[in-house]
Amino acid sequence: MSDITAPVAEAALRPGAWGFRIAVLLCAAGILLLGISVSAVLVAGIGVWGNNIPHVWGFDLIAYAWWIGIANAASLFAAILVLRRHGLRTAVNRFAEAAALAAILAAALYPILHLGRPWLFHWTLAYPHRAGLWPQFGSPLVWDFWGIMSHVIVTSLFWFIGLIPDLATMRDRAAARGRIRAARAYGLFALGWRGSVTHWHRHQAAYRLVAAMVLPLLLWAQTVVALEFATTLVPAWHQARLPLHVVVTGLPSGLGVVLALAAVLRMALSLERFVDDADMDLLARLLACAGLAAGLAYAHELLVGFLEEDETTRAALSARVLGAGAPAYWGAVLLGALLPQVLWFAGLRSRAAVVVPVGILAAAGVWLDRWSIVVDGLLRDHLPTMSRGYTPSPAEWGLLGGTVALFAMVLLLFGRMIPAVSMFETRHEESETEAEEEER
Amino acid sequence: MSHPPPFGLMAEFDEAETMTAAVRTARAAGWTRLEAYSPYPVPEAAEALGVSAAPVGYIAMAAAAAGAAISAGAAWYVSVHLYPVNVGGRPPNAWPVFLPTTYLVAILWACAAALIGMLALNGLPRLHHPAFFARGFHRASEDRFFLFLSAEDPLYDEDGAAHFLRGLAPLRVSEVRSE
Repeated sequence: MSDITAPVAEAALRPGAWGFRIAVLLCAAGILLLGISVSAVLVAGIGVWGNNIPHVWGFDLIAYAWWIGIANAASLFAAILVLRRHGLRTAVNRFAEAAALAAILAAALYPILHLGRPWLFHWTLAYPHRAGLWPQFGSPLVWDFWGIMSHVIVTSLFWFIGLIPDLATMRDRAAARGRIRAARAYGLFALGWRGSVTHWHRHQAAYRLVAAMVLPLLLWAQTVVALEFATTLVPAWHQARLPLHVVVTGLPSGLGVVLALAAVLRMALSLERFVDDADMDLLARLLACAGLAAGLAYAHELLVGFLEEDETTRAALSARVLGAGAPAYWGAVLLGALLPQVLWFAGLRSRAAVVVPVGILAAAGVWLDRWSIVVDGLLRDHLPTMSRGYTPSPAEWGLLGGTVALFAMVLLLFGRMIPAVSMFETRHEESETEAEEEER
Repeated sequence: MSHPPPFGLMAEFDEAETMTAAVRTARAAGWTRLEAYSPYPVPEAAEALGVSAAPVGYIAMAAAAAGAAISAGAAWYVSVHLYPVNVGGRPPNAWPVFLPTTYLVAILWACAAALIGMLALNGLPRLHHPAFFARGFHRASEDRFFLFLSAEDPLYDEDGAAHFLRGLAPLRVSEVRSE
């Protein structure tokens, strides 16, 4: 059974290949761009962005809602896998958790920069203050602060709890080949894990408990973002259905990204045995289901919106759907909801050349949906003098590109330094398969 | 310098089932200070050892309740006493708007308590442990299973314990010293 752990651990311990180095270099360049874009905002203020009245929320809120959607669906997938019964469980949850963590780190950047004076973000915390100022708990900004903080911490805990035993394996492998420094580094984070059956028992309880807690958290994370919109008086946003719409239409993005990552990962690290065809099949069908759910959300939006008695709301919707906002809206429907439906065909969903573009385009479709809500929701304002367009500035494009590079860099480093798939679950799964074969 | 005192005896197995059977036999023979080690969770062995994971859940539930109470209480105290703001004549104690943070903090505390509680119950972090000195123990995180009988057990005497463990068909039995 030693050869089961080996390829996964080797992928993490072997010296970098050329492809890996080039990818890291590209990501580093992207992160430099991120640094420049963030510095521009910090030094010159948010005037470097293209948003202005009435478009107070531009790229920053689009990207924020989009990254949260990716993190949510990736966490949802990981939590579902952990909560499924033994034997059916697969090893792909580890990098779904890592993708969620990387996405949430990218998302967390936006609400802070968007504050205008980012260095005062701690004012949203409730603590005694010389100015006697306290946060208002009725404000969606305060909910958002707690939402994103809980999301970052809980996602990290979920990932870390599952990682502890694998870090212990890495420690022992590094020690066995005399790499004492690496062994110490892994050993420190493995917290002295020694594989006691008693420890395992409690570990599994804690892991499943946190996985179960992730589910209500996800629902709420996107709901808080949507409530920031719904509590305003903008006709296109002031709707009770908005939280549900944002949660449901967000799912294809994260599942699409995890599917594309899984396909790339199993090729790049030769992990076909661990991320097997059944895993890819499950993911692809989940993406098709998420697309279907998003399609229903769009149908509901159109049906309810055009039956709406209030003329202002109907006008706002028709501007988004039939007017100037039509390309973004129908692009979102096409890429986020309709395109994933091709994955119902078994012949197509087993091919990496199909699932990688479909997954990435589904994520792009969800981005268009966020554009449609955030920017095109304001196409019809109350005052004709206020109807002016929104064009993103280079600083905003830099920020978007930079966070994509940050996301990719975090995943590259995870893939390199820690086991990309859960080794202890793979061991367990293989031992059960062996036992079944012996019984036959 | 005299030898360090013996910590116990470690038997190595290559199958989870053999190790689980060994745990059951040892429990039936009256051993109480014993521990098993495995590269992946073996719930049957944990059951044979009489371990319950329920306390992790109780700790998490208690933490969730405490976190929710503190969060809701803080929101109420800040909004009613420290910094009341009149928003369109709404009462300062507008409790429904305190619910989002209460809900989030409850989840946050439950998750943190599940991790911290699990580690505390397991006596971790503890980077140094005599079990690591057992021969071949590094494979406990890879593909081998171990049963450990502690020298603190009233039944323990070195020859008798070694004889008992050899009877369980292990790959090998080795002595563990405390340093």
